[in-house]
Amino acid sequence: MWGEIQFGFALAVSGLSIGLMYSLIALGFVLVYKATDAINFAQGEFVMLAGFVAALVLAVKGMPVMGGVVAALVVMIVFSFGLERVVLRPLLGRPVVAVIMATIGLGAILRGLPPITVGGETRALSLGIGDTPFTIGPASLPPIQVLGVVVTLAFLGIFTWFFLKSRMGVAMRAVADNQQVAMAMGINVERYFALAWAMAGTVSALGGVIWGSMLGVDVHLALVGLKVFPVVILGGLDSVLGAVVGGLIIGLVESLAAGYLDPYVGGGTKDFAPYVVMIIALMFKPYGIFGTHRIERV
Amino acid sequence: MLHRESGVFKTSYAADMALYPLPIARWAVAAVILLFAVVLPLSLHEYYLSIINLSLIAVVGALGLNILVGYTGQISVGHAAFMSVGAYTAANLAVHLHLPFWVTLPAGGLMAAFIGAIVGIPSLRIKGLYLAIATLAGQLIIEWVINHTPAISGGAQASIEVPRPTFMGYEMKTQGQLYFFLLFFAALATLATLNLVRSRIGRAFVAIRDQDIAAEIIGINIFRYKLLSFAISSFYAGVCGVLYTYYFGIANYEAFQIGVSIDYLAMIIIGGLGSVLGSILGAIFVTMLPIAIRLVMEPLGGLFFNAGELSSIIASTRLVLFGCLIIFFLVVEPEGLNRLWRNIRNYFRVWPFSY
Amino acid sequence: MSKSTSWRTAAIAAGAMALAAGSAVAQDKELVFGLQCDRTGATQTVGIFLCPGYHDYISLVNSKGGVEGFKIRVLEIDHEYKVPPAMEAHERFKKEGAILEGVYGTPQIAALTKKLEEDKILGTSPGFGNSASTDGKRYPYIFPLAASYWSQAAAAVTFVKKELGGSLKGKKIAYLFFDNPAGKDPIAILEDLSKSEGFELKTFAVPSPGVEMGAQVLDITGRYKPDFVIAHLFGRSPSVSIKEFKGKGYPLSKVISLVWGASEADIKAAGGYEVAEGYHTLQFAGVGGDFQVIKDINAMYQAQGKPAPKEQETSVFYNRGLMIAALHVEAVRNAIKAKGGAKPTSEDVKNGMEAIKGFTLGGMVPPMEVTREDHEGGGWVQVWTVKGGKLVKDGEWFQAYRDVIKKHLAATN
Repeated sequence: MWGEIQFGFALAVSGLSIGLMYSLIALGFVLVYKATDAINFAQGEFVMLAGFVAALVLAVKGMPVMGGVVAALVVMIVFSFGLERVVLRPLLGRPVVAVIMATIGLGAILRGLPPITVGGETRALSLGIGDTPFTIGPASLPPIQVLGVVVTLAFLGIFTWFFLKSRMGVAMRAVADNQQVAMAMGINVERYFALAWAMAGTVSALGGVIWGSMLGVDVHLALVGLKVFPVVILGGLDSVLGAVVGGLIIGLVESLAAGYLDPYVGGGTKDFAPYVVMIIALMFKPYGIFGTHRIERV
Repeated sequence: MLHRESGVFKTSYAADMALYPLPIARWAVAAVILLFAVVLPLSLHEYYLSIINLSLIAVVGALGLNILVGYTGQISVGHAAFMSVGAYTAANLAVHLHLPFWVTLPAGGLMAAFIGAIVGIPSLRIKGLYLAIATLAGQLIIEWVINHTPAISGGAQASIEVPRPTFMGYEMKTQGQLYFFLLFFAALATLATLNLVRSRIGRAFVAIRDQDIAAEIIGINIFRYKLLSFAISSFYAGVCGVLYTYYFGIANYEAFQIGVSIDYLAMIIIGGLGSVLGSILGAIFVTMLPIAIRLVMEPLGGLFFNAGELSSIIASTRLVLFGCLIIFFLVVEPEGLNRLWRNIRNYFRVWPFSY
Repeated sequence: MSKSTSWRTAAIAAGAMALAAGSAVAQDKELVFGLQCDRTGATQTVGIFLCPGYHDYISLVNSKGGVEGFKIRVLEIDHEYKVPPAMEAHERFKKEGAILEGVYGTPQIAALTKKLEEDKILGTSPGFGNSASTDGKRYPYIFPLAASYWSQAAAAVTFVKKELGGSLKGKKIAYLFFDNPAGKDPIAILEDLSKSEGFELKTFAVPSPGVEMGAQVLDITGRYKPDFVIAHLFGRSPSVSIKEFKGKGYPLSKVISLVWGASEADIKAAGGYEVAEGYHTLQFAGVGGDFQVIKDINAMYQAQGKPAPKEQETSVFYNRGLMIAALHVEAVRNAIKAKGGAKPTSEDVKNGMEAIKGFTLGGMVPPMEVTREDHEGGGWVQVWTVKGGKLVKDGEWFQAYRDVIKKHLAATN
């Protein structure tokens, strides 16, 4: 009995921490959507790109860990700026599906590039934080996951303060709400779009470094992008808090499903159990738990 | 000049409602039918027919998805799952009950339609990307159910071998014979879609896409029509899955995973949302593009690289090229190939007097 | 047409003809092999090493005058691990007159099973695919050529039995697998053996893509606590599993992986050989560079002034490519000899493949024997373990439980 409780606790801790790692990626998605209404289907590929940059830079002998992280940050920010200018500006007024398809196309390009340019084999990304797990009672977390949790929570704090209290954050919310009025009020909409993408790039960079360290860097790293969707849908497409809470719930449900449902049904439930929870939540709150309710006018 | 609309009189309701009222349009359609039914199968090598066969199957699936996404405005990412529902239904009926293909095909479609309607239930409350991800949930759940129910999947391998379709005692095995088999169903699907979108149901779909609250106000039962749209679209998907099954001779859910759903979305977006011709063009384009890229790159690349390096380069370049083309299309012509074709046709409508 | 446009048309036509002529080579003394590969899809981490190995062996054979005087042309098509491109690839191979086909991927070989038989071109599926296709009478044109999943599972059990002191009675074995047909294939064999050998078996499914399996590993190490783990994962998952087991403190020396979770790339991605110390792997081709054929290939590259291909570092997959190519060439050699030196058809090659015996390529290929009934060649595997910073051979080639496998093969009929 006590063993069962211990197991359940360990399962829960593992699920929650992985959930926060999902949130890290989801944050990038939410930032872009919140500020520019664009849905980024290539979020996983962004993380992969950051991972590649970090892995390649760290492969140089004697490079300190911070060097790799900084390189990833710089590349991702520049990349996001460039992306916003070159691809998304022309698509500004188009229907939502066009932007989705553009990001899918972009994702295909990013996935095709590594094999031609640097070779598709898997690279390890070591951050030098060691392997000995932290133990909390019966549960244990590898240090990389603890780092991920810390970074995600830090971002949560920073972005919440940013959007609520800082001048730039409020301006960004205004832009997201109604572009025309924001422009009339003298806010440089284009600059804030670029800023939003740059922030998303930052989050992707750190996500890439952490996930790359966990999984190893190769084209498959982009697959983590699929996990973003249940998280942001559950939490609300434009809510930073939603990304974190959504991640926690999804991670927890996945873990518990794998631990408790799988033995009865032969496995594999962790794949769709979070989606079932998501649909049930959506029936009650169609815009996600913390998403803004879109008021439609006829 | 060629596309004369003046001087055409209609003297009955039937003539007015005809699908192709203009004589030039009827000639054009007749020529296309002649081309596909007679010229191509006699003149092309089996390999090229096999590529066309794959495109024909894709056309059926793309048409179905366009009904849901293009005409009714409900984004769905679960299309491939309905294909596997259709595929396994038909496979099980063919293998266990020895039913011929003209029974298993509609049966597969109907089963897929039923499941599709269930997956479409959230569409009443949920919209946009939220609905898209809910349909993704449907895709994953259906995959899991098939994978874990040996009664449906036929065992751990989840593959059911089906016999080749037989028509009047004549078994269809070669690419040429399968070509006619698939052409028939692709043509049927196209005709059905053309008529569907002109009908009352089609107009209701478009109304829901444009402004579903307004549609409800003027008396369209949006719940019923949304479910109907999911059901019809899934029927097409189920038929598409059955066609794949008969073409490969085996039903296997691994051929119908999320990547395939995204491929079909790409087809209708590139082809043009909300148009039949767009679905067809998009399906052909997306199916043939990787092959075309390879056919062009092979002789060119063979001049520079040896076989081993070449395959690696072609493979990655193809992916990059695919993404670039998608983005290029979206920036240049976001309404797809259909709009491109309409532009060309409109140019010739008044040519040479284009002012 | 005006003069300039007619010149242009002529120039384009000439260019097209030049391209076409460029690809039409002297066809008489040339054989075409078809090779499917996945370099950009879900299993690209295997394909990018395996296919170069294949190409390298064929280049070596060609550089030494070809097989019995015939040069070999390999036509490779990447299918991104999707099924319709695989079908199109097969049709292309057929059009180019391929006499055999190296198929890649379990869904692909499933989809092509019927077509290969109708077209009478043999397809090889080494180390994957439907284990039932070992039965050459039922699937005359499908050749696993290397231990199928059933043979691998049986071999893993044999190894575990040896490690646990010769008896499995009352012991607990956990089976960690990918939740798809390839992963579920061995379960029937494992369950059968658990009854006959008296051990307890529990299965733990990981849904693809398997980038995260904390809960399953926790279940294994925290709740079930088995005496041994048999792992059957591919792609990204093996390295993730190694890290997870290490992190939860479960000794990797109690883990054995089937053939696709077994490469240097997986070990490196998991953090290196120090992390994976003790990890056991099943192989169906030799590992490492200590084989004459690899030395010959490197000599060939050196003669061309190029360095040895870096794909050789992931020797597990590269050598498998070599082995497949070598078996293909041997089948063709048998076919040519049987025909007295004439150009073989794909049916001749099938007969040639069924005559392969005693071909070991300096120890890289097991002592397999392909017959009309046994298209697997005997299901030979070898265990290689991570010791002291590299993969070390842990025993000789062995077969396992052939009678059980034969029983299951007969049952599927």
